[in-house]
Amino acid sequence: MPERIEEREGRHARFRSGTRFGIGLAAVGLALAPPLSRVLRSWPLRSAVAGTSMRPGLEPGDWLLVDPRGFAGRAPRPSELVAVPDPREPSRWLVKRVAGVAPDGRLELAGDDRGSSTDSREFGPVDPASVIGRPWARYWPPTRIGPVR
Amino acid sequence: MIRERIVGAMRPHHTLHAHCDVPCGIYDPHAAELGARTVARMVELINENLGGDETQRNKFVRCVSVKEQHAELVKREVQVIWSDYFKPEHLETYPQLHDLTWRILKQAGKCKQSVDAQAAADLQALVKQFADIFWETKGGRPQA
Repeated sequence: MPERIEEREGRHARFRSGTRFGIGLAAVGLALAPPLSRVLRSWPLRSAVAGTSMRPGLEPGDWLLVDPRGFAGRAPRPSELVAVPDPREPSRWLVKRVAGVAPDGRLELAGDDRGSSTDSREFGPVDPASVIGRPWARYWPPTRIGPVR
Repeated sequence: MIRERIVGAMRPHHTLHAHCDVPCGIYDPHAAELGARTVARMVELINENLGGDETQRNKFVRCVSVKEQHAELVKREVQVIWSDYFKPEHLETYPQLHDLTWRILKQAGKCKQSVDAQAAADLQALVKQFADIFWETKGGRPQA
């Protein structure tokens, strides 16, 4: 009799540890799933930074992921990074920070390094509908992989 | 090989510009010319200044430091105008532009490494060529 109880407990313990492993795996999966889908939808918009106007946060040569649905359902808010077409030359994309939102809802943009940046003082506020996406992560250089904000 | 493949696949598809490219009037090669002049002047001062007391030594170190900084300034200013201001159509008119820029950057490095009046004079001359091209594209150098 005692032997069988031990055996049952042994099985029970194995079952419990297996369950825990499964739950752990599911938790990790759940935690990773949104970022993974975010990476996947951002991948086609992966972009290189050119120029120094976003120093020190973004350096020229940084490779960024830009989430096309980064502002899904809302307009970008002040202090958020945006990728927008240059209003003067729409095929050219800019990375800027939202400095403020005008009463009409348009975005005032600014570079971080104000001394060397073209910004809304030059081209006026931009339509939030024109925003391409939200730069949210740097994936190169390897030493500086991580979120950007 | 595999690493190159991986990095190649990761290469960005787009460029996000964070440039200092104010359309007109803000670009000015003056800072580069001033930087080159400063380098030349520092070379003169360093050559005069071989005394051994502390004040002289201090002045000597300051001159070397200013020479270093201004050679770097020349590189930075020239690079910005070269990459952000000049456009392909400028290059058609001035095909020497890339080579000239490259020579200026090299020459500025040489001025950092040496205390050479000739190197500094060459830097000034190259920067002047660069500034002349810039002002030609602007329709003439503004009268001071």
